Amino acid sequence: MATVTFDGTTRYYAGNPVPAVDGLDLEVADGEFLVLVGPSGCGKSTTLRMLAGLEGIDDGAIRIGDRDVTNLPPKDRDIAMVFQNYALYPHMTVADNIGFHLKIAKMPKAERLERVREAAELLDLTPYLDRKPAKLSGGQRQRVAMGRAIVRRPQVFCMDEPLSNLDAKLRVQTRTQIASLQRRLGVTTIYVTHDQVEAMTMGDRVAVLKDGLLQQCDTPIGLFGKPANLFVAGFIGSPAMNLIPATVEGDSARVGGRPVQLTRDQVSALTSPSVVVGVRPEGWRILSPAEGIEATVEVVEELGSDQYLYCSSPVEQIGADANQFTVRAPGMSPWQRGDKLGLAPETGAVHLFDAETGARLPD
Amino acid sequence: MSSTVESKPAVAVRPVRTPPRKPKPAPGSRGFSPLRLLGMIFVWLFTAVNVLVLYWLVSASFKTPIEIFSKPFALPLQWFERGDPFRNFAYAWNNAGFGHAFVVTVVLVAVSSVVIVLVSAPAAYALSRLGVRGSNGLTNFVAIGMGIPFQTVVIPLFIGMGKLGLTNNLFGMFLIYVALSIPFTVFLLTGFFKSLPDELEEAAAIDGASPFRTFFAIMLPLTRGGLITALILNAIGLWNETLLAIVFLNENANFTLARALFSFYGAASYQSEYGGLIAGVAIVVLPMLVLYVLLARRIITGLTLGAGK
Ligand SMILES: Nc1ncnc2c1ncn2[C@@H]1O[C@H](COP(=O)(O)OP(=O)(O)O)[C@@H](O)[C@H]1O
Ligand SMILES: [Mg+2]
Repeated sequence: MATVTFDGTTRYYAGNPVPAVDGLDLEVADGEFLVLVGPSGCGKSTTLRMLAGLEGIDDGAIRIGDRDVTNLPPKDRDIAMVFQNYALYPHMTVADNIGFHLKIAKMPKAERLERVREAAELLDLTPYLDRKPAKLSGGQRQRVAMGRAIVRRPQVFCMDEPLSNLDAKLRVQTRTQIASLQRRLGVTTIYVTHDQVEAMTMGDRVAVLKDGLLQQCDTPIGLFGKPANLFVAGFIGSPAMNLIPATVEGDSARVGGRPVQLTRDQVSALTSPSVVVGVRPEGWRILSPAEGIEATVEVVEELGSDQYLYCSSPVEQIGADANQFTVRAPGMSPWQRGDKLGLAPETGAVHLFDAETGARLPD
Repeated sequence: MSSTVESKPAVAVRPVRTPPRKPKPAPGSRGFSPLRLLGMIFVWLFTAVNVLVLYWLVSASFKTPIEIFSKPFALPLQWFERGDPFRNFAYAWNNAGFGHAFVVTVVLVAVSSVVIVLVSAPAAYALSRLGVRGSNGLTNFVAIGMGIPFQTVVIPLFIGMGKLGLTNNLFGMFLIYVALSIPFTVFLLTGFFKSLPDELEEAAAIDGASPFRTFFAIMLPLTRGGLITALILNAIGLWNETLLAIVFLNENANFTLARALFSFYGAASYQSEYGGLIAGVAIVVLPMLVLYVLLARRIITGLTLGAGK
């Protein structure tokens, strides 16, 4: 077991002056499940592949425990990796796939078979040990890929979107299985996904990347409750947070004609009078139109337990869906398309960001 | 609800249906088009001509010279009437030295084809997957070798081999066959190696396999289809190879089948043994034809597999 430390790790790709991963500083504790999340192309896979030794490290270092592995080839790093497409060896049986590393490591046959059998049992693969990967379902293949990793008992697991090829229902099941398996084995794990729900449900901590830069690394609760900047605020949470630009006059900003109070620290931290007021869909109180920000229900999304109202409003928002307010109401509420409401943020549900720098204002 | 409404069964029952004899094609795909018609005519003409030639060859190999010239497309009769239907084959086999040539050819073709693939597979792997600097240029350089018709290099090759004392020598012949077949085989196999996903090599690297082991334990088994295709195509090509054998081999003991047939052609036509001559041709051609028919599907999937994703 070991910690993993990224120390100013930087990776350039040929022909691109902007690094794909830029000065990443990150410490992963022993036995921790760390999720790397971010939009497509933000450098998650590159980070993981640097750790696995599949990409060179142009600047900075990576350490596993006390060992500096920056220049070690993959086989000397004591890591195991689960690939997005599983990368199973098609001509080998499940047992041979799982046992390939042990065979190369020249483990005696009896011991090797015992280890493979153990791993197979843990993953419910025992009946399929003699099959070739082509004759397995997607979920079974995914488990073989997991088996190949856990049979090694490595210091670190690397997983690159291992669930993205499964259908929605299986994905939800498997994500719990992987998380509980990891906790049982206690192996330090770096898990890459673009799906923020997966990140929030699986990780001990979640690191959010954008354009190769680490935005924030915190527990799911910390990330959700105190997003460090506008990007994290908009990326984490589904449906996304409502982000409303406003101008500060004195010690309050006006949103849809309603004042939002700022503390003295917040006012002094501002670099310009523009702020962004963030309110999650569940942070609204629904009032009569005269009492809050005016909004008209456009779409009602009934989930049974909850109801999401997508409303239009004269108040501008930032982001792709300008003017669209998302509001959570209790399930089976009587709202209908065309209903008019007034929205006001609950106390304590307001997130404030500096509009110029995107940074969160002190609470 | 009133009780008169019939309740539906809880489980949906599939109604009895009769499937169509042939599923309907996509609309528009079956329409008449002049290009399609032209293509069909061409394909069928081509097939017909070839089948006719094959029929002529096989039937003539059972005929007397008189039959061959007077009734070229009739079924053979006279040797059957005389109770000696395989007379032409016996004549060719006994007079052309095919027995010895057969052994020489089988050994030469087998050894050459295997060595060609053994040399080309690692070369193709290195060129297509190891990411060696300049590998693209090198691949193109090898491909140029395919574009040079070997007839143009026969004379310099002969002089060079003569200086090495390797003319009229089966080992020399083997060297030439291997050398001239490598460009095509390397090119064919690079296509196969390129179509394999990168992650397999990466997974092997993480599993701790050396490049050598990755090649033999992972990549080579996965390109088996391509290797077999390369083997078969080379075997057929070398089996039928005549020009180089005529130039480089001039002693009966070294003759390949194609070379022996060429000598036999002179002798048999001098004696007007046209039936025997054609039987000789059949002896040389038919084994490869049979091999090809047996393995055609394999070869075609092999050829297309390497090409696409
Ligand atoms: N082999 C490569 N060559 C050049 N650019 C690459 C290569 N791999 C990734 N990139 C670029 O690096 C950036 C990060 O890629 P990646 O780490 O794969 O993103 P993610 O996994 O987060 O979607 C992207 O902009 C991508 O285009
Ligand atoms: Mg990726």
